[in-house]
Amino acid sequence: MKPGPDETATAEELRKQIAAQFGRSLHIRTLDTGSCAVCEQEIRLLAAPHYDLHRLGFFFTPAPRHADLLLVTGPMVRAFEVAARKTYEAMPGPKVVVATGACALGGVYPSDPFVHGEVDAVLPVDVWIPGCPPSPLALLHGLGVAVGRLAEKTPGLTFIADGDGGGG
Amino acid sequence: MPLWFARGLRRGVVTTRYPAGPDGSAAALPTPPAFRPVKLTRELVDVMISVCPGPALTRTADTLVFDVGSCTACGRCARVAPHAVTPSGEFELAATARSALVKRIPIRGGQR
Repeated sequence: MKPGPDETATAEELRKQIAAQFGRSLHIRTLDTGSCAVCEQEIRLLAAPHYDLHRLGFFFTPAPRHADLLLVTGPMVRAFEVAARKTYEAMPGPKVVVATGACALGGVYPSDPFVHGEVDAVLPVDVWIPGCPPSPLALLHGLGVAVGRLAEKTPGLTFIADGDGGGG
Repeated sequence: MPLWFARGLRRGVVTTRYPAGPDGSAAALPTPPAFRPVKLTRELVDVMISVCPGPALTRTADTLVFDVGSCTACGRCARVAPHAVTPSGEFELAATARSALVKRIPIRGGQR
Protein backbone atom coordinates (compact mmCIF):
# COMPACT_ATOMS: atom_id res chain seq x y z
CA MET A 1 0.00 0.00 0.00
CA LYS A 2 1.40 3.32 -0.99
CA PRO A 3 1.40 6.06 1.61
CA GLY A 4 -1.40 8.56 1.42
CA PRO A 5 -0.99 11.95 -0.19
CA ASP A 6 0.00 14.90 1.90
CA GLU A 7 -2.90 16.85 3.26
CA THR A 8 -2.31 19.84 1.03
CA ALA A 9 -3.04 17.98 -2.21
CA THR A 10 -5.82 19.64 -4.13
CA ALA A 11 -8.95 17.87 -5.28
CA GLU A 12 -7.63 17.90 -8.84
CA GLU A 13 -4.40 16.16 -7.83
CA LEU A 14 -6.41 13.69 -5.80
CA ARG A 15 -8.59 12.88 -8.78
CA LYS A 16 -5.58 12.25 -10.98
CA GLN A 17 -4.05 10.08 -8.29
CA ILE A 18 -7.28 8.14 -7.91
CA ALA A 19 -7.60 7.63 -11.65
CA ALA A 20 -4.03 6.35 -11.76
CA GLN A 21 -4.17 4.18 -8.66
CA PHE A 22 -7.64 2.73 -8.83
CA GLY A 23 -8.14 2.57 -12.56
CA ARG A 24 -11.53 1.08 -13.07
CA SER A 25 -12.36 0.09 -9.52
CA LEU A 26 -13.44 2.35 -6.69
CA HIS A 27 -15.06 1.54 -3.36
CA ILE A 28 -17.73 3.75 -1.87
CA ARG A 29 -18.63 4.17 1.79
CA THR A 30 -21.96 5.89 2.38
CA LEU A 31 -22.39 8.07 5.43
CA ASP A 32 -25.80 9.26 6.63
CA THR A 33 -25.42 12.36 8.77
CA GLY A 34 -29.10 12.84 9.48
CA SER A 35 -30.80 12.56 6.12
CA CYS A 36 -34.45 11.58 5.65
CA ALA A 37 -33.25 8.37 3.96
CA VAL A 38 -34.57 9.22 0.51
CA CYS A 39 -31.00 9.91 -0.66
CA GLU A 40 -30.15 6.44 0.66
CA GLN A 41 -32.99 4.95 -1.35
CA GLU A 42 -31.62 6.57 -4.49
CA ILE A 43 -28.10 5.40 -3.65
CA ARG A 44 -29.42 1.88 -3.17
CA LEU A 45 -31.09 2.11 -6.58
CA LEU A 46 -27.64 2.53 -8.13
CA ALA A 47 -27.06 -1.17 -7.65
CA ALA A 48 -30.31 -2.08 -9.43
CA PRO A 49 -30.00 -3.62 -12.90
CA HIS A 50 -31.30 -0.47 -14.55
CA TYR A 51 -28.32 1.59 -13.38
CA ASP A 52 -25.89 -1.15 -12.34
CA LEU A 53 -23.00 0.91 -11.06
CA HIS A 54 -20.82 -2.18 -10.75
CA ARG A 55 -20.34 -2.20 -14.51
CA LEU A 56 -18.54 1.11 -14.05
CA GLY A 57 -16.23 -0.30 -11.40
CA PHE A 58 -17.94 1.30 -8.40
CA PHE A 59 -18.62 -0.87 -5.38
CA PHE A 60 -20.14 -0.23 -1.97
CA THR A 61 -18.12 -1.21 1.03
CA PRO A 62 -19.29 -1.40 4.65
CA ALA A 63 -15.94 -0.31 6.13
CA PRO A 64 -14.27 3.09 5.77
CA ARG A 65 -10.90 1.31 5.90
CA HIS A 66 -11.69 -0.15 2.48
CA ALA A 67 -13.25 2.96 1.00
CA ASP A 68 -11.86 5.42 -1.53
CA LEU A 69 -14.89 7.65 -1.73
CA LEU A 70 -17.11 8.91 1.06
CA LEU A 71 -20.67 9.57 -0.11
CA VAL A 72 -22.16 11.82 2.56
CA THR A 73 -25.88 12.56 2.85
CA GLY A 74 -27.76 14.68 5.36
CA PRO A 75 -27.17 18.07 6.98
CA MET A 76 -24.34 16.91 9.29
CA VAL A 77 -26.07 16.61 12.65
CA ARG A 78 -23.71 17.92 15.34
CA ALA A 79 -24.06 14.69 17.33
CA PHE A 80 -22.57 12.90 14.32
CA GLU A 81 -19.57 15.17 13.89
CA VAL A 82 -17.11 12.95 15.77
CA ALA A 83 -18.21 9.84 13.89
CA ALA A 84 -17.93 11.68 10.57
CA ARG A 85 -14.40 12.85 11.33
CA LYS A 86 -13.37 9.38 12.50
CA THR A 87 -14.82 7.83 9.35
CA TYR A 88 -12.88 10.27 7.19
CA GLU A 89 -9.65 9.70 9.13
CA ALA A 90 -10.08 5.93 8.92
CA MET A 91 -10.09 6.04 5.12
CA PRO A 92 -6.78 5.49 3.38
CA GLY A 93 -5.59 8.20 1.02
CA PRO A 94 -6.16 9.31 -1.62
CA LYS A 95 -9.79 9.85 -0.72
CA VAL A 96 -12.68 11.85 -2.07
CA VAL A 97 -15.64 13.27 -0.17
CA VAL A 98 -18.89 13.73 -2.09
CA ALA A 99 -21.70 15.77 -0.53
CA THR A 100 -25.01 14.38 -1.74
CA GLY A 101 -28.39 16.03 -1.75
CA ALA A 102 -29.74 19.46 -0.87
CA CYS A 103 -29.36 18.84 2.92
CA ALA A 104 -25.66 18.13 2.56
CA LEU A 105 -25.24 21.23 0.40
CA GLY A 106 -26.85 23.56 2.91
CA GLY A 107 -30.21 23.95 1.21
CA VAL A 108 -32.58 22.59 3.81
CA TYR A 109 -31.35 23.14 7.37
CA PRO A 110 -29.69 26.33 8.57
CA SER A 111 -26.74 26.03 10.90
CA ASP A 112 -28.13 25.84 14.42
CA PRO A 113 -27.34 24.14 17.76
CA PHE A 114 -28.42 20.79 16.34
CA VAL A 115 -27.00 20.63 12.82
CA HIS A 116 -24.06 22.17 11.02
CA GLY A 117 -26.36 22.65 8.03
CA GLU A 118 -23.85 21.43 5.47
CA VAL A 119 -21.23 18.74 5.15
CA ASP A 120 -18.51 21.18 4.15
CA ALA A 121 -18.49 22.54 7.71
CA VAL A 122 -16.90 19.32 8.97
CA LEU A 123 -15.39 17.39 6.06
CA PRO A 124 -13.40 18.70 3.08
CA VAL A 125 -15.92 18.19 0.28
CA ASP A 126 -14.53 17.61 -3.23
CA VAL A 127 -17.73 17.15 -5.24
CA TRP A 128 -21.22 18.50 -4.62
CA ILE A 129 -24.26 16.65 -6.03
CA PRO A 130 -27.46 18.74 -5.87
CA GLY A 131 -30.94 17.26 -5.85
CA CYS A 132 -33.65 16.43 -3.36
CA PRO A 133 -33.02 13.61 -3.76
CA PRO A 134 -30.47 13.34 -6.56
CA SER A 135 -31.72 10.71 -8.99
CA PRO A 136 -29.55 7.64 -9.54
CA LEU A 137 -28.34 9.07 -12.84
CA ALA A 138 -27.41 12.31 -11.11
CA LEU A 139 -25.46 10.28 -8.55
CA LEU A 140 -23.79 8.28 -11.30
CA HIS A 141 -22.78 11.49 -13.00
CA GLY A 142 -21.47 12.83 -9.71
CA LEU A 143 -19.38 9.73 -9.13
CA GLY A 144 -18.03 10.05 -12.67
CA VAL A 145 -17.12 13.67 -11.99
CA ALA A 146 -15.53 12.72 -8.67
CA VAL A 147 -13.09 10.31 -10.30
CA GLY A 148 -12.51 12.51 -13.33
CA ARG A 149 -14.16 10.20 -15.84
CA LEU A 150 -16.99 12.54 -16.77
CA ALA A 151 -16.83 16.18 -17.61
CA GLU A 152 -18.49 18.65 -15.31
CA LYS A 153 -21.40 20.41 -16.97
CA THR A 154 -22.56 22.72 -14.23
CA PRO A 155 -20.27 25.73 -14.82
CA GLY A 156 -21.72 26.01 -18.33
CA LEU A 157 -25.35 25.85 -17.29
CA THR A 158 -27.16 29.16 -16.88
CA PHE A 159 -30.68 28.13 -15.75
CA ILE A 160 -31.95 30.80 -18.07
CA ALA A 161 -34.79 29.66 -20.31
CA ASP A 162 -34.95 31.81 -23.37
CA GLY A 163 -37.18 29.62 -25.43
CA ASP A 164 -40.05 32.07 -25.20
CA GLY A 165 -41.02 31.46 -28.79
CA GLY A 166 -41.14 35.23 -29.31
CA GLY A 167 -44.65 35.48 -27.89
CA GLY A 168 -44.91 38.48 -25.53
CA MET B 1 -23.16 -14.38 -29.36
CA PRO B 2 -23.81 -10.68 -28.91
CA LEU B 3 -20.72 -8.52 -29.00
CA TRP B 4 -21.40 -6.88 -25.64
CA PHE B 5 -21.48 -10.30 -23.98
CA ALA B 6 -18.12 -11.25 -25.45
CA ARG B 7 -16.64 -7.92 -24.43
CA GLY B 8 -18.08 -8.27 -20.96
CA LEU B 9 -16.33 -11.59 -20.47
CA ARG B 10 -12.98 -9.90 -20.98
CA ARG B 11 -11.52 -8.81 -17.70
CA GLY B 12 -12.15 -5.27 -16.60
CA VAL B 13 -14.01 -4.13 -19.68
CA VAL B 14 -17.16 -2.18 -19.03
CA THR B 15 -19.86 -3.04 -21.53
CA THR B 16 -21.74 0.23 -21.35
CA ARG B 17 -20.30 3.68 -21.09
CA TYR B 18 -22.13 6.34 -19.17
CA PRO B 19 -24.49 7.53 -20.46
CA ALA B 20 -25.33 4.87 -22.99
CA GLY B 21 -28.25 6.99 -24.13
CA PRO B 22 -30.65 9.60 -22.90
CA ASP B 23 -32.58 8.33 -19.91
CA GLY B 24 -36.29 8.19 -20.63
CA SER B 25 -37.30 8.63 -17.02
CA ALA B 26 -35.19 11.75 -16.48
CA ALA B 27 -37.82 14.02 -18.00
CA ALA B 28 -40.41 12.84 -15.50
CA LEU B 29 -38.25 13.68 -12.48
CA PRO B 30 -38.42 17.03 -10.73
CA THR B 31 -35.54 19.23 -11.84
CA PRO B 32 -34.40 22.69 -10.74
CA PRO B 33 -36.18 25.57 -12.44
CA ALA B 34 -34.93 27.61 -15.36
CA PHE B 35 -35.96 31.26 -15.46
CA ARG B 36 -37.01 33.58 -18.30
CA PRO B 37 -35.24 36.89 -17.64
CA VAL B 38 -37.67 38.95 -19.76
CA LYS B 39 -40.61 37.72 -17.68
CA LEU B 40 -38.98 38.39 -14.34
CA THR B 41 -39.70 41.56 -12.40
CA ARG B 42 -38.34 42.59 -9.01
CA GLU B 43 -41.80 42.17 -7.48
CA LEU B 44 -42.28 38.73 -8.99
CA VAL B 45 -38.84 37.64 -7.84
CA ASP B 46 -39.61 38.82 -4.30
CA VAL B 47 -42.79 36.71 -4.34
CA MET B 48 -40.79 33.70 -5.53
CA ILE B 49 -38.24 34.25 -2.78
CA SER B 50 -41.03 34.38 -0.20
CA VAL B 51 -42.52 31.05 -1.33
CA CYS B 52 -39.14 29.30 -1.60
CA PRO B 53 -38.85 26.99 1.41
CA GLY B 54 -35.06 27.16 1.48
CA PRO B 55 -32.25 29.64 0.86
CA ALA B 56 -32.10 28.81 -2.87
CA LEU B 57 -33.35 32.18 -4.13
CA THR B 58 -32.02 35.61 -3.23
CA ARG B 59 -32.03 38.93 -5.04
CA THR B 60 -29.43 41.65 -5.39
CA ALA B 61 -30.84 44.68 -7.19
CA ASP B 62 -31.64 43.43 -10.70
CA THR B 63 -30.13 39.99 -10.37
CA LEU B 64 -31.81 36.84 -9.18
CA VAL B 65 -29.22 34.68 -7.45
CA PHE B 66 -30.20 31.03 -7.78
CA ASP B 67 -28.31 28.48 -5.70
CA VAL B 68 -28.92 25.20 -7.51
CA GLY B 69 -27.32 23.27 -4.66
CA SER B 70 -29.94 24.52 -2.21
CA CYS B 71 -32.84 23.91 -4.57
CA THR B 72 -35.07 20.95 -3.74
CA ALA B 73 -37.00 21.26 -7.02
CA CYS B 74 -40.25 21.61 -5.07
CA GLY B 75 -41.78 23.69 -7.86
CA ARG B 76 -43.27 26.43 -5.66
CA CYS B 77 -41.64 29.25 -7.63
CA ALA B 78 -42.97 27.70 -10.83
CA ARG B 79 -46.43 27.58 -9.32
CA VAL B 80 -46.53 31.29 -8.49
CA ALA B 81 -45.01 32.30 -11.83
CA PRO B 82 -45.65 29.60 -14.45
CA HIS B 83 -44.98 32.07 -17.28
CA ALA B 84 -41.50 32.89 -15.99
CA VAL B 85 -40.31 29.59 -14.58
CA THR B 86 -40.02 26.23 -16.32
CA PRO B 87 -38.36 22.97 -15.28
CA SER B 88 -34.78 23.01 -16.56
CA GLY B 89 -34.63 19.25 -17.18
CA GLU B 90 -31.03 19.27 -15.97
CA PHE B 91 -29.97 16.58 -13.55
CA GLU B 92 -26.25 16.16 -14.27
CA LEU B 93 -25.41 18.88 -11.80
CA ALA B 94 -22.43 17.54 -9.87
CA ALA B 95 -19.83 20.25 -9.35
CA THR B 96 -16.29 20.34 -8.04
CA ALA B 97 -16.77 23.83 -6.65
CA ARG B 98 -19.71 24.91 -4.53
CA SER B 99 -19.64 28.34 -6.17
CA ALA B 100 -20.26 26.73 -9.58
CA LEU B 101 -23.76 25.91 -8.38
CA VAL B 102 -24.70 29.53 -7.73
CA LYS B 103 -26.25 31.05 -10.84
CA ARG B 104 -26.92 34.71 -11.47
CA ILE B 105 -30.02 35.44 -13.52
CA PRO B 106 -30.66 38.97 -14.78
CA ILE B 107 -34.10 40.46 -14.14
CA ARG B 108 -35.08 42.07 -17.43
CA GLY B 109 -38.86 42.47 -17.16
CA GLY B 110 -40.77 45.46 -15.80
CA GLN B 111 -37.98 47.98 -16.26
CA ARG B 112 -38.68 51.54 -17.01
